[in-house]
Amino acid sequence: MEGRPADDGELFARAQRGDAAAYEEIVYRYQQVAFRTAYVITGSAADAEDAAQEGFVKAYRALATFRPGAEPRPWLLRIVANEARNRVRSTGRRHQLELRLAEGYRPGGAAPSPEAAAVAAEDRSRLLSLVNELSDEDRLVISSRYLLELSGEETAAALGIAEGTVKSRLSRALARLRARVEEVSGA
Amino acid sequence: MPEPTALEQQLSLLSGDLEWPATPDLVPAIGRRIRAPRRRPWFESRWAMAAAVAIVALAALLVYSPSRVAIADWFNLHTRFQQVPQLPTPTPLPPGPLGTRLGLGSQTTLSNAEGAVTWHVLVPSNLGKPDEVYLQLPPLGPPQGEVTLVYSGRPSIPTSGQTGVGVLVTEARGSVNTDFFAKMLGPGTTLDEVTVANHRGYWVAGQPHVFLLIDSAGNVRDETLRLATNTLLIDVGGTIVRVEGDLTKVQAVQIAASLG
Repeated sequence: MEGRPADDGELFARAQRGDAAAYEEIVYRYQQVAFRTAYVITGSAADAEDAAQEGFVKAYRALATFRPGAEPRPWLLRIVANEARNRVRSTGRRHQLELRLAEGYRPGGAAPSPEAAAVAAEDRSRLLSLVNELSDEDRLVISSRYLLELSGEETAAALGIAEGTVKSRLSRALARLRARVEEVSGA
Repeated sequence: MPEPTALEQQLSLLSGDLEWPATPDLVPAIGRRIRAPRRRPWFESRWAMAAAVAIVALAALLVYSPSRVAIADWFNLHTRFQQVPQLPTPTPLPPGPLGTRLGLGSQTTLSNAEGAVTWHVLVPSNLGKPDEVYLQLPPLGPPQGEVTLVYSGRPSIPTSGQTGVGVLVTEARGSVNTDFFAKMLGPGTTLDEVTVANHRGYWVAGQPHVFLLIDSAGNVRDETLRLATNTLLIDVGGTIVRVEGDLTKVQAVQIAASLG
């Protein structure tokens, strides 16, 4: 099987036996989602980097508690997100998260007219602004589920709540966002 | 699963178009940190040792007196048992309030503790009203919290040299297959299966063993590392009750049988 990338199970098993290189591969695989999750929680890239780094180190030290065969993403995200929340708590401030559309953003689809493309871009930009304006709780659950594309289990881990709570919190947050979208559209 | 609404679809479409801050390369810094000698080798190198012997420990558990089936039950007690050839030596308990010294959380009242957790807090009638009550909530405690009843020593129950109190009765609940306690047992510690009023459990006795708490994020809370004295662990309808003290097995069983 030369050249075959090790799967997560193999990497965790090796890391649990003290193989630091295997753990570095795990960090490499999950650092983006971990960093972005921490960013959504702290609203600061610097704090997110610190939280992700600290979280990965703590996870390494707690590898003995990782159950073989378990999903690694929720396990890692729970630890990193916990670290991010601790950072927010200890500094007593959460930076205002300001997500933006990428520079040069062009809506997908089959060559829309410049006018249609402009309208679509404006719609998305407006929707993102409305997400940014939500309360911390609503923005966190919507950002985790849709913008970070975390699963229900991962969102629960990232927010430190039960999966059932994710569903109810998401439903309420979507209702409030929908109301704001309708309000702005009707204005 | 219900179809996503138009709003949900629009939100999902946004995910690919966002301008995220560039993800830093965390690998070099983390690699250095996990390879560096630890700053607190008194505990963590020993914990690493314990982790390294986890497979050996599992093998040891398989030859312990309870059967393979019983081992699954141990995990349902939310307690990870590890048999190690030599116990780590914890630092002396820090000074300060009991809750801090033993990692029990904040002092509260029985009625407040009852109101903060999802289960009926069981009180051993043969010990009576606890002298102190502590509550530990997530993220420092187990996912549904932990309540500890503290009893000072009395003529029939000496004050323990390990905990500084007579009896600790600790209660927690959790879903199956989540562990939030860990015990490291040295060669001088015995583990016996017990049944108290139809509730199954284990009696850990002999030489003091190591007790640790795993928090709701799965982190081992190293500050909770301490030596524990004789302990009875039972599952009372989903509530895990730990009765700890310099007790005989008979005394511990009597205390557990009077829970209500």
